[in-house]
Amino acid sequence: MGDALLEAARDLFLDPRVLGVILASAVYGIFIGSIPGLTATMAVALLVPVTFYLTPLEALAAVVTLEACAIFAGDIPGALIRMPGTPSSAAYTDDLYALSRQRGPSWPLGVSLVFSVASGIFGALVLIFLAKPLARFATSFSYAEYFWFYLIGLGCAVVVSRGSPLRGMLALFLGLLFSTVGMSSVHSQPRFTFGREELEQGINFIPAMIGLFGFSEVLRNLMAMGGPAGETVAKERRTGGEGLWRRWVIRPWMSVFGNTLPLLWVRKFQALLASCIGAVIGILPGAGADIAAWVSYGVSKKISKKPEEYGKGSLEGVIDSGSANNAALAGAWVPTLVFGIPGDSITAIVIGIMMMKNVRPGPRIFEEQAATVYGLYLVFILANLLLIPIGFLAIKAGSKLIKVPRRILIPAILVACIIGSFSNNLSLFDVWMMMGFGLLGFILERRQIPLGPVVLGIVLGGPLEEKFIQTMTAAKDPWTALFGRPIAVVLAVLCLALWLSPLLSRIVRRGRSNSGASLA
Amino acid sequence: MRFVCLGFLVFAGCRSDSSYPSRPILLVVPWAAGGGTDRVARQVAALLEQDLKVNVNVQNATGGEGVTGHSTGAFAKPDGYTLTLMTIEINMLRWRGRTKMSYKDFTPVILLNRDAAGIFVRADAPWKSLKELDAEIARNPGGLRASGTAIGGIWHVALAGWLIAAGRQPTDITWVASTGAGPALQNLPSRGVDLVCCSLPEAKTLMRAGEIRCVGVMAPERRVQFPDVPTFKEQGVDWSMVGWRGIGVPRGTSQRVLHVLVPALERVVKSERFLAYMSTEGFGPACEPPAQFEQSLEQTDARMKDLLTSRAFASISKGQFGAMAFPSILGVALGAALLLALLTGALKKPEAGAGYPKEAWLRFGEAFLALAAYALLSGTLGFLLTAGPIAFFFMWRLGTRALVAASIAAAVVLGFYGLFAGLFRVPLPRGFLGG
Repeated sequence: MGDALLEAARDLFLDPRVLGVILASAVYGIFIGSIPGLTATMAVALLVPVTFYLTPLEALAAVVTLEACAIFAGDIPGALIRMPGTPSSAAYTDDLYALSRQRGPSWPLGVSLVFSVASGIFGALVLIFLAKPLARFATSFSYAEYFWFYLIGLGCAVVVSRGSPLRGMLALFLGLLFSTVGMSSVHSQPRFTFGREELEQGINFIPAMIGLFGFSEVLRNLMAMGGPAGETVAKERRTGGEGLWRRWVIRPWMSVFGNTLPLLWVRKFQALLASCIGAVIGILPGAGADIAAWVSYGVSKKISKKPEEYGKGSLEGVIDSGSANNAALAGAWVPTLVFGIPGDSITAIVIGIMMMKNVRPGPRIFEEQAATVYGLYLVFILANLLLIPIGFLAIKAGSKLIKVPRRILIPAILVACIIGSFSNNLSLFDVWMMMGFGLLGFILERRQIPLGPVVLGIVLGGPLEEKFIQTMTAAKDPWTALFGRPIAVVLAVLCLALWLSPLLSRIVRRGRSNSGASLA
Repeated sequence: MRFVCLGFLVFAGCRSDSSYPSRPILLVVPWAAGGGTDRVARQVAALLEQDLKVNVNVQNATGGEGVTGHSTGAFAKPDGYTLTLMTIEINMLRWRGRTKMSYKDFTPVILLNRDAAGIFVRADAPWKSLKELDAEIARNPGGLRASGTAIGGIWHVALAGWLIAAGRQPTDITWVASTGAGPALQNLPSRGVDLVCCSLPEAKTLMRAGEIRCVGVMAPERRVQFPDVPTFKEQGVDWSMVGWRGIGVPRGTSQRVLHVLVPALERVVKSERFLAYMSTEGFGPACEPPAQFEQSLEQTDARMKDLLTSRAFASISKGQFGAMAFPSILGVALGAALLLALLTGALKKPEAGAGYPKEAWLRFGEAFLALAAYALLSGTLGFLLTAGPIAFFFMWRLGTRALVAASIAAAVVLGFYGLFAGLFRVPLPRGFLGG
């Protein structure tokens, strides 16, 4: 191990080319992640032709850095304009945005950045030390386990919705129904397409997300413009008369990181739990950063002392689910390296890049190509550390954006909505789709129905149905299908407990108040 | 020269097709990013880009089991600027009644890969050969579960075809639909299924990891990269099924374009870089020029017609649970949640005084009109000439002075255009500003 590690470190740190590639991918990742409509997966796919000119380590370093930066950067438009840059940020966008309105965007984004880095490094450590046993665990998951697991992810989105869980359920079922539009992947039959060929591809979650969050926000802003002028996001406090050093270095640094480092210590256990949740979910092929964020948000709310803040600007929620989605990234590499089974859509492309570079994933990769693997480990840590300065600059640049007057900013966001919804599939139909979802988002918002679960439903509906039908066809009768395997039973019990928890807690509360009344 | 032309583009919309290619080429891929077909396509695109000295962008038009991508490519303008990475599904979709389109809607340009189907089992499975597997199927019809692709997809057809050739029913193995070979293979170690039918490169890594084993490959002879994998033929079964990938352009593309494109692609496919890539990925390399490719297409199509329209095949396309089962469950759940919410009053309008003035609803309508205008007009006018006025209109409407609004709107739109079309390779509509 020692020799290989040394070799890897030499390859990495003594070669300005590798460091250059990492830096360039970091900037690229931040860009892609912070533009709604461009996903980290798309960015990695765009990177593939570039990797022809890179060494294996450089190519993998580029991907790792890019995804780490993109997932964090997804928080930036969430905080600034309430439009999550990637679906992984959708769980806590409302909280981030509310916090930005209260105190300016720098501070909540700084918190998110610090915890993203910490949990990203934690995820890398999990990858480094536990890859083999964890990969074994991941391969014990089959159809039924995934079915229950997806239901748990969806249940979390319902449980966390503020106000009545019924509103969350409505949003979720709506999203799930949207996911059934188009060609059913298991039946190969078109559904709800009304004869339109564009609808056969189903509802793409990207225009849906941009419509629900972005366009509906534009609509709200346009409508409120005539009324009392409220700022979209609170401006940061300004004090004059200081030296250049203070003005350009100390003050920006303090505004982003001022109170965040102590927080790291205060919330160490919760963040650790969130990172563990993220890493484990990331390891499961077919479950990635987006579900990790939701599950962690749900757990966070359950164990929090201030659950009423969730959805209205809870820093705890931002920290915990922001940690989970970054920890999930490294997790996805575990089955990728050990079995060549991609843990998410990004690592699916990574396998292609690896093959191209003659890096052969498999249990023997740790002996045969130790230097590359250790190099990859080091890159994971390096990329996360690099995220601190790059993320800092991005946050500062983003906060400048907010100072642009709204009469300029809102039309620009409108153009961004158009281009973002169009560019994923190069389809004008998606622009219409985005319009429709914008209207829906506007209506749901007025009824205080949360938007996040709609997105989650659209993203997870397809896989959920697929696993359901697969479970049912693979076994002879439905009972052994759903409860025939030990891990499936455990997950089923967890899942049922979760879905029934709002009901149970109500009964418990009623029981308590009854007994209280009788005592009085 | 290109810069001169670019200059013309801006002013007059230079449509001269004196030289092909003079602008970016689009390569349509009917399958998702990261899959085998996509990886081959991106390799071809990168090499073709070097050869033709114009950008070659890959577009993943997924859905409908390949219908979407193939029809996007087939019905594009036959000007040589839209290529399609065709796959064997184009030979199958018509016979499964999924589309009217066929390989005849394309002018074949080059065939670049062939991969045979193989049958994979867990490393510790009791069946060492096809014969033993066949005996198990005979003993327990319908007891084994297999996966690899959607119902009626190429690997399902390969497996069912073997069963028919061996004198069994195609339903003697329960097929669990899957979105692709990757997710299906993952269910071998976890004991979700007993067999997976897919191509060798797809199963390569798990095979090398010692998790799974190939019982036989449906090819005429053994593959160089996989010398230990026996063929069906060696095991006394006369059945083969070989998938292919190739490149086509819409029917009606001019000879002038083909004279450039065919030799360029031939150079790419025969290049050392490409061959090395195919070999490390485990893809079976192949190279057939247009005439030969067309012939292969015709043969495969005839074979697929016989297979897919036969009586035995009619039974396989139905799963146990209908397409409406899941949406029905969801519909009921949504209805119940809605009813409960109405009964408990959870949906009451929270803030009564939050109504908007009439003026606000006017702007609300304008936003929709603007987007509709974009969706309808950007195809002809291009991105810049539609998004620009929209940005200007709202900036002006919200109280920015006209001159300021116009210049900021222009800057914003040009900036977005540069970022997306230049950096991210997203071909935004150019309208009459450029063909």
